[in-house]
Amino acid sequence: MRRRISAYGLTFSLPLLIWQLLFFVFPLVFLIALSFWTVRNFRMQPDFDTVNWTTMYGRAIFWQAYGTTLALATAAAALTSVLAFPCAYAIAFKLPNGARRWAIMLMVIPFFTSYLVRIYSWQVFLSDAGIINVMLGWIGLGPYGLLNTMGATLLGYVTLALPLVVLLQLFSLIFLDRTLIEAAHNMRCGRLRTVFAVVIPSARVGLVIAALFAFILSFGDFVSPIYLGGGDPTTLSILITDTTKSGQQWPRAAVIALTMIVTLMVVAFLSVRFAYRGRK
Amino acid sequence: MTQAPLVSFEGVAKRFGSYIAVQKMDLKIWQGEFLAIMGSSGCGKTTTLRMLAGLEAPSEGVIRLAGKPINDLPSWARDTPMVWQSLALFPFLSVIENVEFALKMRGVGRAERRRRAEQWLDRMQIGEFADRDISQLSGGQRQRVALARSLVVEPQILLLDEPLSALDAALKVRMQSVLKTLQRETGITFVYVTHSQSEAFSMADRVVIMSRGKIEQIGTPQDIYRAPRTRFVADFLGASNIFSGKVARDPQGRTVIATDSGQFALPGNVGVSGQPASLTVLDTRMQIHDQPPGGARNSVAARMVGEEFVGATATIYFETEAGQELRVQKSHEDLAGLPLSIGQPFHLSWAMEDGHLVQE
Repeated sequence: MRRRISAYGLTFSLPLLIWQLLFFVFPLVFLIALSFWTVRNFRMQPDFDTVNWTTMYGRAIFWQAYGTTLALATAAAALTSVLAFPCAYAIAFKLPNGARRWAIMLMVIPFFTSYLVRIYSWQVFLSDAGIINVMLGWIGLGPYGLLNTMGATLLGYVTLALPLVVLLQLFSLIFLDRTLIEAAHNMRCGRLRTVFAVVIPSARVGLVIAALFAFILSFGDFVSPIYLGGGDPTTLSILITDTTKSGQQWPRAAVIALTMIVTLMVVAFLSVRFAYRGRK
Repeated sequence: MTQAPLVSFEGVAKRFGSYIAVQKMDLKIWQGEFLAIMGSSGCGKTTTLRMLAGLEAPSEGVIRLAGKPINDLPSWARDTPMVWQSLALFPFLSVIENVEFALKMRGVGRAERRRRAEQWLDRMQIGEFADRDISQLSGGQRQRVALARSLVVEPQILLLDEPLSALDAALKVRMQSVLKTLQRETGITFVYVTHSQSEAFSMADRVVIMSRGKIEQIGTPQDIYRAPRTRFVADFLGASNIFSGKVARDPQGRTVIATDSGQFALPGNVGVSGQPASLTVLDTRMQIHDQPPGGARNSVAARMVGEEFVGATATIYFETEAGQELRVQKSHEDLAGLPLSIGQPFHLSWAMEDGHLVQE
């Protein structure tokens, strides 16, 4: 169906349009141009040279970082979704209306505190002389190296994404048609089986979008891999900062950034397509 | 009907907090009958059905299915398939997958359940839509999918919660005959909840009329229509003229009802003298006369106040001296020869047997 753009609609969307142009489209175009510039004597100069692309794509560290980032973000999206679902399910179906409002309120509270602060507080828990190791020491265990591990990085990602994922899942579950659940029970589908046979397929769009947000947040995150993961293994976000610091290589950092943007776009496109598969 | 009932409600009540949805109810449903539960919204008809399906737990009493108490049986352990008002078809499954669902849950093998689902889709004349999405079907087609989905397990009983209310009038009538035929052919007990008198009376073998959580009357459509047992039923059906008054004895010792519009004789020795009661007379059973009728018929003088023509019949409205409104339905042939005009005085009469005493 073709729709004509009305002047009325345009007036209201204009500020957003200008914002997107100024702060997304123009920088993106600039980033693309920048990736073809060259650096001589620590100074950037406009150019059209593919050397940055060939250099970055020729480095093993780039592909290692790419693989690590992709794997960690995927793991974070899966882990966060699995952890969030029982919570969102319980809030949506088991709580009375009043308690549900409070639960939603509690889910918003983490956003009051800066993410950086929350990650620092994890350091207090996880370090060798931190709270967890001290408590384990009381019963004669440890100390374990909890900080500067991939597990700690994942923990950071989950900290970042969990409240948002719970909220997104919650909203798709609240609006689920409850007669579908009754109908499933009515056809001899037990409680747990109904969750997998009816609830998850019905809420699929919301669940996939929630996981996608967890992926996007984790994929580009710099704080967790550096402060909880100790920068090892290197993620793409860490690689970008390293590249800019070593010899003013902003054009090569642009190559990494553009690769990340394209990856996110592909993942987002595939996820949305999967979410809406079979829907008209 | 000498065998045991398929379903029995024994003193079943349902409360939601302080709200009483269903008051202590006793009801027997027989194998193979088409039972309609009818009433206006909030009368407890849907709650009754949902208790039978295990979607609500009774606060009191026992529900038995085939003799066994099922109160503690969760809904997924009962064989009481239901058709919802919203149909509750799964939008993420195709038509045939929807029909196969219940069989899959019972562990029926892939080939067998496909075969049985196809059989039911064909029977419901929607075989060609098997692989479509639910969203691609029309309202009537979805209705048929919902029926196939519930009937594919060949249950003893099928529960229907206002399944036709979303359809347009023509389709509704067609689906009514589909349902009736289906019920007769399969012999499955249908329990059909509706607020529509025409649906209930055209399909059901027996009708249960509920009001405010209570059963007002149970009977065949003809019995209820001819002789409503309570004032509520008579009002609800809207087919009868209702006189309010008190039970009394006339000088000959016969039971009469004394109303503002006069005294009318009742058949038999019914009611207790002095008790308030109402008399109902079907609007089709009243005669119109331009002279006072003689004989044993009850009669009342009334002035014509209006008329309404619907197809082959006409409804003429009257008012008595005492302000009582009355209505008479007649064919156009019956009315020929009467000087019908607004304000004209007439006499209305009915045979004693056509009057029914109802409780206030």
